[in-house]
Amino acid sequence: MRRAGAMVAGALAAVLAGPAMAEVAPPPPPYVGAYQPQGVDEIGLWREFDESERRLAASELVIRDEKLNAYVRHVLCDTVGTDRCKAVRVYIMREPTFNANMSSNGTMRVFSGLLLRMRSEAELGAILGHEFGHYEQRHGLKLFKARRTGTDLLAWSALLASMAPSYNVRRSYADVQLSVYGNLFRYSRDNEREADRLGVGYLNTSKLRPQAASAVWQNLMAEIEASSRSKGLSKPRFNAIAFTASHPPEGERALTMAALADPDGASRDDGADRYREAMAHWLPIFLDDQIKLNDFGASDYLIQSLAASGWTAPLWFARGELYRLRGQQRDLVNAAEFYESAIRLDTALADAHRGLGLSLIKTGRPTDGQAALRKYLELKPEASDAAMIRMMLTKEGVTN
Amino acid sequence: MTVADSAVSVTPSRDWNRLGVSAGKNTETWTLDGDQLNDVTFYGGIAAGKPLIKERSKKKEPLPKFTKDTLIVEVPELLESTYRAYKQIGTFSVASTEPAEFLGHEGVRFTYTYTDSDNLPRKGEASAAIIKGSLYMMTFDAPRLYYFDQAVGDFRALVKSAILT
Repeated sequence: MRRAGAMVAGALAAVLAGPAMAEVAPPPPPYVGAYQPQGVDEIGLWREFDESERRLAASELVIRDEKLNAYVRHVLCDTVGTDRCKAVRVYIMREPTFNANMSSNGTMRVFSGLLLRMRSEAELGAILGHEFGHYEQRHGLKLFKARRTGTDLLAWSALLASMAPSYNVRRSYADVQLSVYGNLFRYSRDNEREADRLGVGYLNTSKLRPQAASAVWQNLMAEIEASSRSKGLSKPRFNAIAFTASHPPEGERALTMAALADPDGASRDDGADRYREAMAHWLPIFLDDQIKLNDFGASDYLIQSLAASGWTAPLWFARGELYRLRGQQRDLVNAAEFYESAIRLDTALADAHRGLGLSLIKTGRPTDGQAALRKYLELKPEASDAAMIRMMLTKEGVTN
Repeated sequence: MTVADSAVSVTPSRDWNRLGVSAGKNTETWTLDGDQLNDVTFYGGIAAGKPLIKERSKKKEPLPKFTKDTLIVEVPELLESTYRAYKQIGTFSVASTEPAEFLGHEGVRFTYTYTDSDNLPRKGEASAAIIKGSLYMMTFDAPRLYYFDQAVGDFRALVKSAILT
């Protein structure tokens, strides 16, 4: 009952806030508690989700780090409230894509690529709250009922893929599976609007800054545009990212989100410092995952936007790795500079010395390069490639 | 017998199946029980400026390229980035890298582990050398459970028998 009181208080605050509030997202309805599936479709759908969750619980792709899991859960609970978040089991997946989803049995998947792209607790809360909104309104089931024919296609393609000779065909079956389910759960504009309203509504009643919701969409669209630009594509490919493929982005969406946010919340804390601290250990790892996807434009945009709050050694290092991986001559010169900037901020960053050494050797400065590699071995004598690097030091001039 | 339309020749110690489909130009794949269970891929001289395997889309999904400046110590990173970009995964780690002779030249031998969309943890081992500006490599991928240990000896025998004709 205390909870209901808080709701009323929230509603009152919203009413008292004045005329501009016509646009602001209302506080979420009272939570109805545990829900059980009804009817044959829903029972079948839940069974499938339960099965997939069983596989997930044993999967190598799940990040089991206790602190990180507790933190993401804490942000979710802060956003949607403690009674709602009891219904959710969160799984953090080591997958470098911007994605999060929630199935109707309460399984929430948060991808590491999403954690890399968020700048604050409020932004993460915005996405998690949005997904929770789809869940609370049971949008998945409505769509499933509407488009069930898609699953027949899956049955056929599974049969044909099993007859095909190569692993790559199976891989493309996995793609079909993704795209069919993607289309199955491609939320309609109405569903999206509803989830946006609910998501921002949770944030309005939380301690976090609701204005962050619109920033997420702006950043994501800017990243997709940067990626398309560097590939020389004429049009940004919004369907290239799983999350935007199932959540259609629209230009006016960021504006709508901004209007839904309670203006009184604008001065609230968005938890950016806490978020940075919680991600400190994982950020270099997630950045490395992102760089090795070979999407130069998106990675460079991400590093630059992370650096908006100040360049750090891991960020300079990541940028060095990105340029060295692309490996054109001008890239290598830039890479060497970036590694040097990283070392200036943190002389003990062993891998930066390695990258610097390799970049210098490739740009015709073998003596300086070898000096950097020596430093790398000094800092990391047990490195997995130590024997290879040591061999490069004994040569007079290093050749390929 | 020569493999991957190249000057590389191997003498197999047992019967292998050659797959009709290949991952890209200058590559060839052999298997014992199916390529998801044991996959030996020959890269017979990847030229500078080319990716290791065929790109799904040159423009939209480019793969990292082997370049004339690529150092032999960077080959494991090149394979890692190729796998990660092609399979869109985040779980791939190079476990060890050491100098080893391959095709009679100084080269590298490295091991790695990864898990892709079928959720089956795999192990891999590869030998590579850069000869006259082209990359020659043999990789072996198999599920960590049972299959890797079962056939890795046959793979090593293949690597040992490989010569440049």
